[in-house]
Amino acid sequence: MGMLEGAGKIIRKASFFLCCAGMVFVMPLMALTTVDVISRAIWSKPIPGTFELSEYLLAIAILLGAAYTQQVKGHVGVDFVTKRLGPRLRALSESLCNLGCMIIVVLLAWQGYERAFEETTVSDMLRIPQTPFRLLVFVAGITLFAEFLLDFINSLKSLIGGEK
Amino acid sequence: MSPILVGIIGSAVLLFLLFMGMPIAFVMMLVGFLGVTCLTSIDAALPLLADNLYGSVAHYPYTIIPLFVIMGAFASAAGITGELYNTFEKWFRRLPGGLGIATIAACAGFAAVSGSSVAAAAAMGTVALPEMKRFNYSQKLATGVIAAGGTLSFLIPPSLGFVIFGMLTEQSIGKLLIAGAVPGLLLSALYALVVYFSVKINPGLAPMIHERVSWREKLLSLRGVWETLLVFLVVMGGIYGGFINPTEAGAIGASCLFLIVLFKRKLTGKAFAQTLLDTIRISVMVIFLVSGATIFSYFLALSTIPTTVSAWIAGLGVSKYLVLTIIIAIYLFLGCFLDAVSMMVLTLPVVFPVIISLGFDPIWFGVVAVLMMEAGLITPPVGLNVYTLAGIARDVPMSDIFKGVTPFLMGIFLLVIILTVFPQIVTFLPNMMGR
Repeated sequence: MGMLEGAGKIIRKASFFLCCAGMVFVMPLMALTTVDVISRAIWSKPIPGTFELSEYLLAIAILLGAAYTQQVKGHVGVDFVTKRLGPRLRALSESLCNLGCMIIVVLLAWQGYERAFEETTVSDMLRIPQTPFRLLVFVAGITLFAEFLLDFINSLKSLIGGEK
Repeated sequence: MSPILVGIIGSAVLLFLLFMGMPIAFVMMLVGFLGVTCLTSIDAALPLLADNLYGSVAHYPYTIIPLFVIMGAFASAAGITGELYNTFEKWFRRLPGGLGIATIAACAGFAAVSGSSVAAAAAMGTVALPEMKRFNYSQKLATGVIAAGGTLSFLIPPSLGFVIFGMLTEQSIGKLLIAGAVPGLLLSALYALVVYFSVKINPGLAPMIHERVSWREKLLSLRGVWETLLVFLVVMGGIYGGFINPTEAGAIGASCLFLIVLFKRKLTGKAFAQTLLDTIRISVMVIFLVSGATIFSYFLALSTIPTTVSAWIAGLGVSKYLVLTIIIAIYLFLGCFLDAVSMMVLTLPVVFPVIISLGFDPIWFGVVAVLMMEAGLITPPVGLNVYTLAGIARDVPMSDIFKGVTPFLMGIFLLVIILTVFPQIVTFLPNMMGR
């Protein structure tokens, strides 16, 4: 059980640090677009590749933040039915939901990996390859899977009568 | 199995998993994926998952989401709510329910630089509530005003509601944002009238304040609105004039507010980090929801349910306004249980084609839909703004806050009726836009 808790802590910290790494890109996203507009308005010279750089920055920020968002239960759900269930039934429904989420995110991770290496596209202006950014779908899928797995284990513990 | 039957079974599974508490984004992805597998093949469905998610997170127009979110966060950090309230309080305090009217005006002002209704309710709760308490305003009125006023952020641009509607329906986000401006002002006026007449009918709700404010004080207080006015004019003026697109407007607005916050020295390192974390959390939630909705919509389109439902409703020969009324009633019901974004994501794949087939203007419907989402923020038992306020006004029972916001719901319904009778109120500004 100690090892499991240790692994849980590592997963939670990894999700948090990944999100921190992603959030660093929000301010450059804001600055890049602003400077592009100003440069276009004053000197009629837009910054080359602003669109594609913005897309890549958004991809990094969102995909690295996906697991942390699950950790803080930021992915919204409907809880007005489950709130009214008894602890056992609630734990059962949580277990099934976490299992469903694990299935879809593991498929997402697998396909993210496959599609990233099939991808040969580069961006229009700066010729930046898409593959590293598409690989972040795999990263998001795997880290989300780890978060849902932790939640699944916790809900199972509640279901079989253990502590949560 | 016929595609429609698969669609119906898929929708039933979706509802079942939703009620079990599975996060909406992942329910839609899972059911959409299984549905597409049934209707085409697993080879077609598998790549859809990763391609769709990447397509959503690396899509230039969607960069507007973190930019609008962070803009609202910087506006909160800059203390704009407090300054707006202090200004409007000086102008309106001598009216019946004057502090409530000032709160509505300040909420409308804050909404002009922020798209987050929860942030508005939270910020105004800490600023206006103690003042209204000090002047013995009834708890129901004071909390109701703030909870309802907070919803204005969902309608007055820059509004996340319009961004998400535009993303889901492929309508111009710029036009939607511009379309929200006049209805936003109208709703603010209706909310103010609700306060005014509530107090006129029952003066015990809010004792009159007789303390005079000189014209000099009133004029000097206008300094409190310059930041809001500047940012709103740059952002919405830029979009309206066609100089910048909505994403660029979000970036410029956020940059302006960031500079204001830095200039005022109101952002600590810790608060800044928390702002960025919150921005990512909200943006991830919204973009994953949209990605899930896209997969589910693709499945629904394959099942032919949206076109079949549209054709069926058109074939009924009933008035389109009756159908609209039913849709509004459904939104009102769903708003009692779902949050605004989830409601849009879940319903628009079916409702929007119906609305278009009935001949309603898509931009006009965007405003009506956002209004109904707004109502959902204050209807029991799951009214997000009411919950937010209950966290601040811990001595006020939640039931009192729900009772307090009920008259303001009437304002929303009245506005929906006005906009249905005079749709030009919504469409005239977008139709005159620069691009």
